[in-house]
Amino acid sequence: MYMYLPIALTSVNYLVVMGLGLGVGLLSGLFGVGGGFLMTPLLMMIGIPPTIAAATDANQIVAASASGTFSHWRLGNVDFKMGFYLLIGGFLGGAGGVQVIKILRATGGADFMIKMTYVIMLGLVGSFMFVESLHAMRKNKKATATSEQTSTPAKKQGGFFAALPMQVYFEKSGVTHSALVPLVLGTFVGVLAAIMGVGGGFLMVPVMIYLLRMPMHVVVGTSLFQILFTCIEVTYLQAYSNHTVDFMLALLLLVGSVFGAQIGTVLGKKLHGEQLKILLSIIVLAVTVKIVLELVMEPTILLSYAGGH
Amino acid sequence: MKGTFVNFSRNLFMAAVVFGLAFLPVPAAQALTCSVKPDNIPITLTYHGAQLSITGQSASGDDLIVTITSEPADTALKYKEKVGGLVWMKKGTLEFKDTPHIYMLYSTDELGRILNAEDLNHNLLGYEALRAHTRIEDSGGNPADLKWFDEYIKFKKEEKVYDIQEGRVVRQHGVDGNTYQVDVAWPYQAPPGLYTVEVLAARDGKVVDRSSTSFEVKSVGITKFLSKMAFDQAGLYGIMAVVIALLAGLAVGAVFKKGGGSH
Repeated sequence: MYMYLPIALTSVNYLVVMGLGLGVGLLSGLFGVGGGFLMTPLLMMIGIPPTIAAATDANQIVAASASGTFSHWRLGNVDFKMGFYLLIGGFLGGAGGVQVIKILRATGGADFMIKMTYVIMLGLVGSFMFVESLHAMRKNKKATATSEQTSTPAKKQGGFFAALPMQVYFEKSGVTHSALVPLVLGTFVGVLAAIMGVGGGFLMVPVMIYLLRMPMHVVVGTSLFQILFTCIEVTYLQAYSNHTVDFMLALLLLVGSVFGAQIGTVLGKKLHGEQLKILLSIIVLAVTVKIVLELVMEPTILLSYAGGH
Repeated sequence: MKGTFVNFSRNLFMAAVVFGLAFLPVPAAQALTCSVKPDNIPITLTYHGAQLSITGQSASGDDLIVTITSEPADTALKYKEKVGGLVWMKKGTLEFKDTPHIYMLYSTDELGRILNAEDLNHNLLGYEALRAHTRIEDSGGNPADLKWFDEYIKFKKEEKVYDIQEGRVVRQHGVDGNTYQVDVAWPYQAPPGLYTVEVLAARDGKVVDRSSTSFEVKSVGITKFLSKMAFDQAGLYGIMAVVIALLAGLAVGAVFKKGGGSH
């Protein structure tokens, strides 16, 4: 039942760890998020040091997102062109974000600002998605007969986006954007993700849905594709410079998560875009509430190892 | 020449007295011994802590204090404080200097009834003695509030690496003479390393004898291989971690498609 982790220097019940992998992998296949915002705190709860929890989670996401991307690609749900632009932006933003943190840390009081940004972003994104998808679900029920008409004009972009140069048609998503739009949005998410110390899937997904106007199912596949590359980079860098990747822990997690991602993908096919959105928004809001409670209530132990969110 | 001989015989006499005293300090007393089983704990893949048995012989009426400790070291920890009267945040780092990572103490009686505070303090026995020896500094090198020591003990107890159990050492009187024993559940949270077991005998409020031994906890097999590789060949280790994760993900993706093709 128990396995010793050579880098985390602790012993865990492997059934519990595989179960965690399965659960978070399912969310990954379903919503196109990496699930780091759930997995890292869960790993810390079973005694994994924060820095190792975060780095090893990235390693595990490589497997889950590879598994998810593969199945979504077979279903024709990955917009590689869009993913590529977002990825370039994400890399630039990530590198920039790390510099921003250095400056913030030097001025002091940065952690407070980072935590607040995190809570506010989660809260805003969660509430907006919840209200919007609830609204859309009601509208769909009312107007099932005229559904074709309501969905098409929404994909047209307003004046400012259309006026930008380098307009590209993204066949898979069926949208036209300036190449600059996904680049800039990718950079923006990359900066925030680096500052908050998370992968950014929960930010990227709403950005693709609401700003890039991509269909929900393509959003999931494309987001996983992008997360795959980000996590490969993070895993390698963490292993190389910080020695914080626990390979045994990652193996246990990925045994669960690769299957979870498959189940999530199959389940996702059976759900409507609106249903997926509302479920994701509920999870994001629940995480927000949990973080707020943690911030406000007095912790039982006031000391901890460095690292983590 | 004569003087030298006198000096020599005096020295011989003194040596004999000292020698004799060392071995026969008190009539009917038994020299304190100490051994630990196992003295080598291998960390295998399925390691989940170990059961230690510390045994030895002691004089019949003596009180005993058994400690298991690691070398004193500095530990840096983040501390949380209330910010803006509302939220609990990690405010900064505190350095706990010259404290062992592991501190376990077992005795035949309450510490306060075995030795006085001064002797406990001098021999680093009990949390109060540790408190007196530990220096706590913030990141600027300034001494920090001593209340953080209580938090430190709480943190270490939660990790199961600090433990004090008074009255846990059992004494027996049998054919082997007077023996003592204490069984310890060695926590898996304790990192690999060399640990010291020390037994101290006290009589009438004074330390009369001590004995010590050590045991080693070390990684073996795949655990050793992976931890060595993660540090010595970090680049290769990173590539291995990525490649295996990728292959596992793609393989399961491919297999699942075949199995679930009818969907």
